[in-house]
Amino acid sequence: MHILVVEDETRLREQLRDRLRDSGYVVEVAADGEEGLYYGEEYPLDLAIIDLGLPKLSGIELIRRLRSRDRHFPILILTARGNWQDKVDGLETGADDYLVKPFRFEELEARLNALLRRASGWSKPVLDCGPISLDTGKQSITVSGNAVELTAFEYRVLEYLMLHAGEVISKTELTDNLYEQDFDRDSNVLEVFIGRLRRKLDPDNTISPIETLRGRGYRFRLEANAG
Amino acid sequence: MRSLHSRLLLAASLVLAGFLGATGLALDKAFRVSAEAAMQDRLQSHIYALLAAADEDDNGRMTPPQELPEPRFSKPDSGLYAVITSGNGKPLWHSTSLTGRNINVTEQQMPGKRHFSRLARSGMQLYALALGVAWEDDAGTEALYTFTVAEDTTVFQTEIDSFRSTLWRWLGGMALVLLLAQGVILRWGLRPLRTVSNDLQQIEKGRADRLDGHYPRELTGLTSSLNSLIEHSKAVQIRYRNSLDDLAHSLKTPLAILQSSPPDSSRNPDTSHALVREQVERMDEIISHQLQRAAVSGRTTLAKPVSVGKVVERLVRSLDKVYREKQLTVNLELDPSASFTGDEADLTEVLGNLLENAYKYCHRAVRVCVRTGPHTDGVEISIEDDGPGIAADQVDTVLQRGKRMDESIPGQGLGLSMASEIITVYGGQLAFAVSPLGGTLLRVSFRD
Repeated sequence: MHILVVEDETRLREQLRDRLRDSGYVVEVAADGEEGLYYGEEYPLDLAIIDLGLPKLSGIELIRRLRSRDRHFPILILTARGNWQDKVDGLETGADDYLVKPFRFEELEARLNALLRRASGWSKPVLDCGPISLDTGKQSITVSGNAVELTAFEYRVLEYLMLHAGEVISKTELTDNLYEQDFDRDSNVLEVFIGRLRRKLDPDNTISPIETLRGRGYRFRLEANAG
Repeated sequence: MRSLHSRLLLAASLVLAGFLGATGLALDKAFRVSAEAAMQDRLQSHIYALLAAADEDDNGRMTPPQELPEPRFSKPDSGLYAVITSGNGKPLWHSTSLTGRNINVTEQQMPGKRHFSRLARSGMQLYALALGVAWEDDAGTEALYTFTVAEDTTVFQTEIDSFRSTLWRWLGGMALVLLLAQGVILRWGLRPLRTVSNDLQQIEKGRADRLDGHYPRELTGLTSSLNSLIEHSKAVQIRYRNSLDDLAHSLKTPLAILQSSPPDSSRNPDTSHALVREQVERMDEIISHQLQRAAVSGRTTLAKPVSVGKVVERLVRSLDKVYREKQLTVNLELDPSASFTGDEADLTEVLGNLLENAYKYCHRAVRVCVRTGPHTDGVEISIEDDGPGIAADQVDTVLQRGKRMDESIPGQGLGLSMASEIITVYGGQLAFAVSPLGGTLLRVSFRD
């Protein structure tokens, strides 16, 4: 998942970047509105976190321009003022949710997950596909009711595949959304991770949730459970 | 031109000067015209007298008058002259007064025609009237003559000059009197404005609290608005000061707790971390509460009415977006004529907080009604949900939450107590009840 953080306060920006990276997101950071607009237009983003009080281009204006240029990824606004006039202005301009500073990182992550999930068409916080159940709120996985321990990175791979269940995800797309830009793309790290995921989710090789389409990529094979 | 007084004075003086000037010119012209007409009449009667004095010779031909009707004709340089020319322009006769001078009358008049003109001849300015005359002799042949009588303009000019000087003296005197009267009227008329400005200065200097004088009707709107602005700014100032006091005092407790926590946090890092986090959150709550409390504008007489329905719709659109996942049913009954006299941001804050609570705690349904009318004095907004509701004995605790930070109810934001405080500032009411939907029913009412 590719996330843009636009925040002028250096300390907070770096904290967010580091913690989001630790959680397995690919993070771009921008310190002002203009830089934010550049990233927003040039990068394939899944979500943006935008502070309302930005230098050069205000948060509201940034959101307005992104929306007017057909950028439809979810936007979470951060506001220090916390009054309703600001929140409503932001939401009316095109943001999808807001968070008042200061906030707990856990709260931010919960909102991010909800927005990402909603953007992929899942309305509930728990993604159920066959026996596999992924709780985006708790970030936990169960297979047939039994908890499975995943690393943050493995969790992101699985979450990305499940959010796009049934679609073919190319290796490049997966890499772009899971690694930082400077990651060594030629290595077979991805294959290793997919292999590990398969063993953890399906040790007996009975449900084979992830299939490999040679030369095209991967697909999460199980369909979403109804209800 | 900063002063109202000097503006009015200048404008009125210009108008006055223009008016008097135009009057003077008109009178002057009228006098001149009538004086010239009188002169023409006079000259004509001289011609008639000359005609009457003219004699006939034996053949019935005209002979110039011997005895002149007007002694001035006989006195040299008297200023009154007469010339008779024959039809071919040859001078036949001139009066004695013209001795040594010459008036060339070249233009001949047809019989019965007269011509009045102003002439400049041998250093004299003259008014001349020429009359064409046909004289029939006994043989029945007609001889044509032109009788010309001219009078020096000096007399005429003297008359005009004396009229002018009288006229302008009078007009000047009138202008002076009118200007003085106008100055006095302006001073008197604008005095209340000066009084207001002096009274305002007294307030600025801290010697008075409000505008208390008796002001004319046209100014009472202004002065009462000023009074309410002054009161409003005083109230805001007091609120700022109280908020600042409260802020400083209430921050001291968490700071004291942090300060007195054990210095060696490495021994028990989890507890220490939890303590810091708890106190930081508490301080955050205190700060946002006090800031928002201080930011409330309160009611002013100058505020324009805000449509309550529009504010509710904006908030509902926004909250629908945030709580899209809950898939709830929101029922709106909005009276479009309902308005709130006050700051839009304050109303947005109240309704935003209350609506967010409803969205957060409801199960599936939220209902908002905005009403005005005979049963409600002003505007009434009710917000209800089908959530668990607030127990009656908890209402006070919830409302007090912002003020007393020592208690906290998990899951209840500061929103409710914030909304309640803003409502109080506007002199409104906030009532709790159980909704027919099953949850809380909050009824906010503002009087007009």
